[in-house]
Amino acid sequence: MKSTRTMSFLAKFGIFCASLGLFFVLWEVAALSVGKSLILVGPIPVLQALIALLQNHLPRGILGIQGADAAILQTLATILFGFVLACIVGIPVGLIMGRWKTAEVLIDPWLSATYSIPIVILIPMLYFAIGADFYAEIFVTFLLTVFTIIVNTHHGVKYVSNALAEVGKSYGASESQFVTKIILPASMPDIISGMRIGMGRAILAAVLAEVLMSGNGLGGMMMTFQDVLNTPYMMAVVFLIALMGIAVLQLPKILERRLFRWKETESLSREIRR
Amino acid sequence: MKASYAKYGILPGTLIIFVAVWWVIAAEVNNSREIVGPLQTGRALVSLFTDPPLTRLLAAGLQVTITSILIGFALAVMVGIPIGVLMGRYLIADLFCDPWVNIWYSIPAIAFVPLTMNWTGVSSTSSVIIAFLITVFTVIINVYGGVKNISGSLVDCGAAYGASQTQILTKIILPATLPSIMVSLRLGISRAIEGVIIAEMVFTVVGIGGLMDDAADNLQLALSGALIIILAVISLVLAEVVKYTTRRAVAWKESQAMIRE
Repeated sequence: MKSTRTMSFLAKFGIFCASLGLFFVLWEVAALSVGKSLILVGPIPVLQALIALLQNHLPRGILGIQGADAAILQTLATILFGFVLACIVGIPVGLIMGRWKTAEVLIDPWLSATYSIPIVILIPMLYFAIGADFYAEIFVTFLLTVFTIIVNTHHGVKYVSNALAEVGKSYGASESQFVTKIILPASMPDIISGMRIGMGRAILAAVLAEVLMSGNGLGGMMMTFQDVLNTPYMMAVVFLIALMGIAVLQLPKILERRLFRWKETESLSREIRR
Repeated sequence: MKASYAKYGILPGTLIIFVAVWWVIAAEVNNSREIVGPLQTGRALVSLFTDPPLTRLLAAGLQVTITSILIGFALAVMVGIPIGVLMGRYLIADLFCDPWVNIWYSIPAIAFVPLTMNWTGVSSTSSVIIAFLITVFTVIINVYGGVKNISGSLVDCGAAYGASQTQILTKIILPATLPSIMVSLRLGISRAIEGVIIAEMVFTVVGIGGLMDDAADNLQLALSGALIIILAVISLVLAEVVKYTTRRAVAWKESQAMIRE
């Protein structure tokens, strides 16, 4: 088998373009053969709608939603606030769990529960308990993200190589030195991989909260267009959410590449969970 | 695998703490339109199984939800494994599919919901499509990773002894990828469950998720809470069954991927 290296960049780029082209052709053919703009529209009207949205033009007769810029900003803010909050809480909790057996035993059942039970089922309840404003959405985002961060941090801290830990111990490192100089750097790849998966969760959570709770932001906008059966605009918002998701997901990846050029992290290629 | 015995003692303890905290918060808030306590929820849970109209609703909902999850999951596995193997084996397939797999994998499940509403309406078919779409890329990515990481010496050895392509595939690639396939099943079932529940919560008329959301909309919070408990139990059981089966299937190999989980 030829390895990826032997293939020239041009050939790879060509294949990518062909794959891109094929996708749009298939989409157009599917749209033409369905022939009903309510069900599926081709790529061109969707791109037009996307451009109109980005220029902040809304179609006529749509009332009660924000402009596209406000919606994008609100969704981004929800994602980022929820995510940062989850990191601020999740990384220390994971660290404590990895270092302190009692905490691990106490917290682990909660984590195991979230392995198998999707937390999204709590959203309709949360709606009544904490309302449906911006803060509630941030809370939902936080809740759906924090466990991923805890699990990955815990894993990273727990499986720091013994060789590293023993050198630190034998040279008489204090507990705080031990944690900041050895444990944290060594477990950083796992923490970042948790952040990457967590970011994906945060995007899902933020948009879901908007759909189910406030009806604001991109999620609300998407459902509004769905309700009025404006398919091109609806698909444009779906596109926007996808694009935003892909863009935001790059943040932890960039951080990882920057920090760990020295380390081939396995986490780069594999998801631990969800 | 950490099968500590302390865990079995800690589990009921955690449950008791959870119920106690819930109870105290509910008593403090004391407003059945914001939060209902465990007692009322328990009563609603009992009524779900004793009150004939509710039981019928529950049975119909359970059937729809569980079949949606299983069909979506099965389809994703049947489509995802071959694509993953192809991508891992053939560079052309890899380059052709990789961008799309990664892009579609990054799209949150909720973004598929309005699309499927246009295609197949507010129905269980839509939940199946959503479950399929968010599961299949997880399966592809994990199987692909597994095939890529097969040690080259295994394949070379087979080739040197004159194995045909099909023999290499069935005798070397598939057994060596089995642990990754099992991991993908385990991750996949969680995603399929979540996808179906998300879809049903938005649709509000399909399955248990719909019943639950509908009850909450009608301010029957106790009923909604009871349905949340039922959904949690379904998810737990399905995920654990898949977990147990996959563990058994690759018990001969303590794979790196399994340990990491």
